[in-house]
Amino acid sequence: MRRIVFMSATALTMTAMSMGSAMSFEGDSLVAPNCDYGGKISAIRAIDEHTVSFEMCSADPAFEPKVAFVSFGIQPSEHIKTVGTTKDILTNPIGTGPFKLESWNRGDSIILKRNDDYWGDKPAYETLVFRWSTSGANQLNELRSGTVDQISTLSPDDFSAVQNDADLQFLPQSGPNVLYLGMTNTFPPFDNVKVRQAIAMGIDRQRIVNNYLPEGSEVADYFTPCTIPNGCAGESWYDFDPAAAKQLLAEAGYPDGFKTKIYLRDVFRVYLPEPTTFAVEFQAQLKANLGIDAEVVPLESGDFIGQASAGNLDGLYMLGWGADYPHITNFLDYHFGKDVKQFGESLPAIYEPLIKGSQIADVELAKPVYEQVNNAIRELVPMVPISHAAAGSAARDYVKNAGYRPFGAKQFGLADPGKDTMVVMQNAEPISLYCGDESDGESTLVCTQITETLLDYAQDSGSVVGGLATSCDPNDDATAWTCHLRQGVKFTDGSDFDANDVVASYAAGLDVTNPSHLGNTGAFDYFSSLWGLMNAATN
Amino acid sequence: MTSLDAATARAAEIVIEDGLLGNPVPLWKQTWKRLLRKRSAQVGMIFIGFMILVAIFAPIIAPYDPNQVLIGVEDIKRREAPCVHLLGCDVAKPQHIMGIDGNARDVFSRLVYGSRISLMIGVITVSAALVMGVFLGAIAGFFGGWLDNLIMRVMDVILGFPSLLLAIAIVAVLGPGIVNALLAISVVSVPGYARVTRASVLSVKSQDFVSASRVLGASKWRILFTRVLPNALTPIVVLATMGIAGGILEAAGLSFLGLGAQPPMAEWGTMLGSEKDQIFSSPHLVFFPGIAIVITVLGFNLLGDGLRDALDPRLNA
Repeated sequence: MRRIVFMSATALTMTAMSMGSAMSFEGDSLVAPNCDYGGKISAIRAIDEHTVSFEMCSADPAFEPKVAFVSFGIQPSEHIKTVGTTKDILTNPIGTGPFKLESWNRGDSIILKRNDDYWGDKPAYETLVFRWSTSGANQLNELRSGTVDQISTLSPDDFSAVQNDADLQFLPQSGPNVLYLGMTNTFPPFDNVKVRQAIAMGIDRQRIVNNYLPEGSEVADYFTPCTIPNGCAGESWYDFDPAAAKQLLAEAGYPDGFKTKIYLRDVFRVYLPEPTTFAVEFQAQLKANLGIDAEVVPLESGDFIGQASAGNLDGLYMLGWGADYPHITNFLDYHFGKDVKQFGESLPAIYEPLIKGSQIADVELAKPVYEQVNNAIRELVPMVPISHAAAGSAARDYVKNAGYRPFGAKQFGLADPGKDTMVVMQNAEPISLYCGDESDGESTLVCTQITETLLDYAQDSGSVVGGLATSCDPNDDATAWTCHLRQGVKFTDGSDFDANDVVASYAAGLDVTNPSHLGNTGAFDYFSSLWGLMNAATN
Repeated sequence: MTSLDAATARAAEIVIEDGLLGNPVPLWKQTWKRLLRKRSAQVGMIFIGFMILVAIFAPIIAPYDPNQVLIGVEDIKRREAPCVHLLGCDVAKPQHIMGIDGNARDVFSRLVYGSRISLMIGVITVSAALVMGVFLGAIAGFFGGWLDNLIMRVMDVILGFPSLLLAIAIVAVLGPGIVNALLAISVVSVPGYARVTRASVLSVKSQDFVSASRVLGASKWRILFTRVLPNALTPIVVLATMGIAGGILEAAGLSFLGLGAQPPMAEWGTMLGSEKDQIFSSPHLVFFPGIAIVITVLGFNLLGDGLRDALDPRLNA
């Protein structure tokens, strides 16, 4: 990426004297030159020491669940401005959370220690250790032998074994997710909508749910799960009809099917517990129902995601999505937005109403718009939604509060192993601990223990509760939000938490010209997809 | 020199005519007789013979198409444990003597068809490696000099890599797939054959009967192919027999890692690899392919052992 300093870059971070009560508090601010950059945020200002205002370019009904997402964790402004300009920030997170980073033993473990100055309920134990293993069998093995107290993933085949083991507890995970069979509409024969519709009708999704997913999983009638408001507006997906599918395929000029590929990455995900087994099932169904010869092609995980998002996969591919926050924009806008290349050319019939919908706060008012979107997705079939999977994990029986909340990563500070140390095993090593620029579940799980966000997800529902801010209040048309920050909170480096820390943390992620906008890859995926990056055109 | 050799030959004739050694029996016939007396070779041949029969009659033995997904065809669940009616399994249930795999296919049928692939892999890799290795080794040993140096140093370089690692590297470049796996395994086994052939050729080419041929004016190639090589083959035959076992094992290893046979091909290594996480919940899915690999590999190893003993005259007192 070329980096050119934008002429008015200095004007972007103005300093404004506060008018209010705080003595000599100099409030920072981040202001976009204008709203033409296409993002959501027009300005973030520190009004006084404990008040931050977010001025929006357009109404953002999902503001609260979005600011509760772990990627928008707050770190001290000093830390962001000094360490944030170097790669050191990747391994040196400073937060306000219940734990602080003690050491990261590369390839082996991450050790966190209790933050004794934590403002909330302090953890009942002193040391939290994260370890990792890609093998589900290995994770369960370690759990059984007692070398770890909790594991993050459990293969559906092991559900009953865990439920029948008196030393273990089974932990259901209820996060909404979707598995889909993707196609790129720039490659033949997927450029023909009839071919896509044929595949949409020609796969027996019920059979996959009944046989390949754990109990409680559902066939995906819509891309978005029904637990998300407006997720299920509009017509539900096609019924399984191989005859009609073959007919469509014949009309498209492929009466005897065609040769293609099924791409996958061999990585366990809640929505896709056994990638290769699923690929073979799709392969068998495509052959039997549509006469399509598909070759199974495993790709390396990073390569697969990169090629899929760039729209470079010339066949079918299996991918899925787990909700980051409980709002329909997290599903639809992320996949079918105007700039998304994942399914080839983005389709105006889908993205135009999406833009409209993302500005309507009221769920009922937004419903007709999302009906339109879901019907367009059904008609144009950018992908085939397959299933919403039920999932579970496991812990030793003595761990109290081991369960998961519906949204957001597990907060281990609330759990209690009844001893000094709790060991958690997850799927992989975190990529970095600066989660502003990470999107993988392994990094965010560790970040969640260290840094905190303005708001937070509740333990028992999809609603949003106070975090570092006691509340964020919208104006009448949801175009401005004022967040009231918690007082007396300290970072683990000893500094006080105030409004400037919020501005600095957001500025580092949002403003491409900010010197601290470095991160790991510099992509800042969640800042980019949820808010939009400022001054990106100048880079 | 000539007269001396002639005298020796005459002496040998006399001895044979005198019947001191009985009727001369061809080497291969002798070997076969000795082989049949070796217990290890007997067991090895039974194992291999069994596998060959299974491979030939796979369509008759296997009750199902190895790639047929039985969901909706029968009332079965994925990864169901083996059901053998003779052992008390409910007669109302369909019989699957080795159970059902993760894609609801009959494991026994896949195992039966897998024997074709594994035996084919073993034979093809060894044949390919044998042709290349013996040719290179024979030339190196027979002609010597710079050619010997060149060939053997190249072989040394290949031997410098751990063979599985080199095979993985080759497959990584060419792309995963059974044909590329075969190629990779063949290439990494060439140096073994080349070395043994060279050593054997070196020891044979200095023997008197080779000198005799040379003196009689035979061409170098004629000497190499009709005099030297046939007499140098003994250790290579043993090595090749064991090599089949190695080839099967390496191909299974590559497939286990996802680099060899691709789904839905019924290959033992792939079957093992794709179900390795189920070792605790559905052990039959890794047990049976594992056993199949063990039996076949053990068969070739035992036969190779027996063959070595049978071909070594010093062990036949």
